[in-house]
Amino acid sequence: MLNLRNLNLSFHGNKVLEDIDLEVKKGEVVTLIGPSGTGKTSLLRCINLLEKPDSGFISLGGLDYDFSSIDKKETLNLRRKTAMVFQQYNLFKNKTAIENVMDAQMVVQKKSKKEAYEKSMEELKRVGLEAKVDAYPNQLSGGQQQRVSIARALAVEPEVILFDEPTSALDPELVGEVLKSIEEVAKSGMTIILVTHEMSFAQDISDKVVFMDKGQVAESGRPEQIFKESDNARTQQFLNKFYAAAQ
Amino acid sequence: MDLQYMISILPEFLRVIPITMLVVVVSAVFGFLLSVPVAGIRIRKVPVLNLITDLYISFTRSIPILLQLFLFFFGIPVLLQLLGFDVTNISAMTAAIVCLIIYNGAYMSEVIRPAYLAIEKGQHEAAESLGYTRFQKLTKIIIPQMTPIALPGLGNAIIHLIHDSSLVFAIGVVDIMGLATIISSGSFGMQQVEVFLTVAFIYWGISFASEQIIRYLERRKKRVLNRTGYEMKEEAEYNV
Ligand SMILES: Nc1ncnc2c1ncn2[C@@H]1O[C@H](COP(=O)(O)OP(=O)(O)OP(=O)(O)O)[C@@H](O)[C@H]1O
Ligand SMILES: [Mg+2]
Repeated sequence: MLNLRNLNLSFHGNKVLEDIDLEVKKGEVVTLIGPSGTGKTSLLRCINLLEKPDSGFISLGGLDYDFSSIDKKETLNLRRKTAMVFQQYNLFKNKTAIENVMDAQMVVQKKSKKEAYEKSMEELKRVGLEAKVDAYPNQLSGGQQQRVSIARALAVEPEVILFDEPTSALDPELVGEVLKSIEEVAKSGMTIILVTHEMSFAQDISDKVVFMDKGQVAESGRPEQIFKESDNARTQQFLNKFYAAAQ
Repeated sequence: MDLQYMISILPEFLRVIPITMLVVVVSAVFGFLLSVPVAGIRIRKVPVLNLITDLYISFTRSIPILLQLFLFFFGIPVLLQLLGFDVTNISAMTAAIVCLIIYNGAYMSEVIRPAYLAIEKGQHEAAESLGYTRFQKLTKIIIPQMTPIALPGLGNAIIHLIHDSSLVFAIGVVDIMGLATIISSGSFGMQQVEVFLTVAFIYWGISFASEQIIRYLERRKKRVLNRTGYEMKEEAEYNV
């Protein structure tokens, strides 16, 4: 469904991602883990072209794109098949919760206001925020804002939703509600690529875990393979460090 | 002091208020239209053009507006002649308006630019990631958030403009101030205090009215800013 081949990205001559290959099947949850600065965020941003890779190929929803020669139209096209949930939520500050969810449906997908409203209500209910539809982002807790942003992503019915550390900006007591919403999204059959430091969540929810290190895919496999049975030295080192810090 | 005299000359002044208004409105509207591309060039740091706009802004900022008026009044015909047009002089009104448009293009661009830069990168990225075109992003997300930030600065620009417009008499435009000089010289230097006091009251009135409008905008701005959580950034560094 989503297929990345030979993706390369550099910032001002510094290689950040090197020859990344990634396959994600329809309805799969793929989690990216790895040390800080390894390029997990950058990889997600490449998939919806917030960063433009130097080279590589992506197929998504039956279409192929060549990153090295991608044009404006293809860029919009690819972005419209993906949705991003940001670490800092990035809700539109001038819009209420429901307007945040409606806007792209009306502006980008040209749906009628009524249609967009109904779809948005449905998605806001799904993340448990039907009581907050008229609140501005500023009036919502971090957890609520993140759930609105999940509803916003769902509402455009993308092929894949990209989550970049969706809970790491949240107070600990708000993490649970957001994880619950993500789980809900995963269960509904949505294809997901998730970057997270919530290791036990990753283990529970993922169909595939990708361990990245220094801009490369170091290892990938089923969650228990990576978390329990890995014999990759770098994976073990990362997980050990992680568990030691968590204690 | 001759109050009666002051009241008697008032209607004459009221008749030329539209001239001052015309100068202000035309300069404000076209100055704003000019300021948008200027701000755009500086925000995107367009090569070469960026350098030109930097010079342009530093020019308008450093040279007294009165001197700028003279430069335009005497300079535009010379420039037009160099370009091959057969023009020996232009009307004072034209020179004044062109000058104030150019001045406000620079001034207002320095209100718009910080307002644009105050918008978080995440707002752009959220729209881009959903597939908004550049135009959709600007009109639906960015400009609505910039507006309450920029409005007070633009309001101040207009107050300054009203004050600056009182200098156009110097190149011969018969606006409020122009009429005042005519009347006071016509009365052989008598009752000068009355004439200029009347003018002062008129400017006071105009400024008071425009300040009320700006206050109102400020209150609205506070409400919107509270909602969006943006802080007011500092104003353009113009001292007029
Ligand atoms: N806009 C940018 N300009 C220059 N370098 C960048 C930029 N964005 C990221 N980088 C660099 O690219 C590398 C990968 O960063 P990235 O944010 O993708 O890592 P990450 O795996 O998401 O890390 P973290 O777990 O801390 O979020 C880092 O070395 C970072 O400094
Ligand atoms: Mg990251």
